[in-house]
Amino acid sequence: MVDTEDAAIVARCLAGEHNAYEAIVHRYQKGLFNVALRMLGNYEDAKDATQTAFVKAYEHLDSFNPEQRFFNWLYRILKNECLNVLRGRRPSEPVSLDLPAGSGADPVEARERQQAVQAALLALSVDYREVVVLRHFTDLSYDEIAATLGIPLKTVKSRLYTARQQLGDKLVGWHVAR
Amino acid sequence: MNTFNEDRRNDNDEVSMMLNDLPQVDPPASLAPTVMSTIAEHAKAPVTQPQVTFTRRGSRMAKGTTAKRVLWSVAAAAAVALVALRVAGYPPVEEGTEATIGAAQRYQAPQIAAADVKVEDQQFQSFLQSDLFRQLVNDKAAREALKDESLQKALSDLNVRNALSNEVIRTAISNNAVLWAKYLANNDVINQVRLDAKNLAVLQAALTASPALVAAISNVNIADAIANSNLALVLANSEAMVAVRNDAVLNAMFNASSNARIDAVNNASSNASGNVINK
Repeated sequence: MVDTEDAAIVARCLAGEHNAYEAIVHRYQKGLFNVALRMLGNYEDAKDATQTAFVKAYEHLDSFNPEQRFFNWLYRILKNECLNVLRGRRPSEPVSLDLPAGSGADPVEARERQQAVQAALLALSVDYREVVVLRHFTDLSYDEIAATLGIPLKTVKSRLYTARQQLGDKLVGWHVAR
Repeated sequence: MNTFNEDRRNDNDEVSMMLNDLPQVDPPASLAPTVMSTIAEHAKAPVTQPQVTFTRRGSRMAKGTTAKRVLWSVAAAAAVALVALRVAGYPPVEEGTEATIGAAQRYQAPQIAAADVKVEDQQFQSFLQSDLFRQLVNDKAAREALKDESLQKALSDLNVRNALSNEVIRTAISNNAVLWAKYLANNDVINQVRLDAKNLAVLQAALTASPALVAAISNVNIADAIANSNLALVLANSEAMVAVRNDAVLNAMFNASSNARIDAVNNASSNASGNVINK
């Protein structure tokens, strides 16, 4: 689906055909949900943030610029929701890392490693975390990340480099089974 | 599984590989139906319906609740009030006290300072030391009457004082406190008191403007003071009137000996209330 198709769906929604919005939800729900999941580290919070982002996007469809990529606009709404959730958390509140584990030769080790990676991800600042999340959990290129975040390309690369350095420091001793 | 694009395949360091190893998680099956049902409700609801935010466990919470709006309204009103008070200069801060540590910046009514009351005229000083003034200010009713601004204004007019210095007029007014206007309109009375039309009009206007004057004329001390030309000195001296209105100053004045009254007033009033009558 190209952006012109998104724009056409938006036009139908604005004309009163609200069921047309379902195509957009199905199109982007997996990407947005995984972004929220990695940003928040909690399944339920990610689900709530994603649902809220979709509803808010629908409520403000009239402010969407069809010349803009729909995902970029949707992501900004989701990011605000994630920030709201993070702000609502008390500093001492433990974050659930009960995330689905991937497959591997050693499921137990893979699960522990993935939990360590997720914990390290949550320890990053939001600015660093989001470039990592957009880079590794969406199909966005560096240029697209820059456009989505509204920052220069070199800033994206710089943040990504620093974020990986910080993650590397936190994940010493962990390796991916080859 | 992760979706790799060209850039991503280039991210082949250990950290990137561990990140890429994190699985893509399928969203809950209820996500899309929940969103669409919420949108359907939203489409049916009036435009003014508050926005919806999903919270943990899928419950929904209306944002922009009344309580929140009231809270913001009160906060905004308080902020505006604080800014207004600040701009208006309240509470006032006297110069030189800005660095006083811990001093309460409460409002204080301006006190009469030493320079506020000055007696420069020898004639006025004599009047202050006279038995007449002593009687006048020792008379509570007279003092209260003299505090009345309408009375002060009326008696500050020479024409009014001249008219009231006529004992016949004072007696007539004090005997006819209610019907003085009718009395003064009587041609026989006018002829008797020998007031010309202009002075009569001034007197009538003064009496009309100041019921306190009408009432005070029956006071013998007021009457004597009106008849005494030195009263004009007191009435014409706004600084002296400040002292007359101030019981502390008057008490201090008449607790002192007659010969050193002014000096005693200076000392006593400065100690009692900060009011000083300077020579």
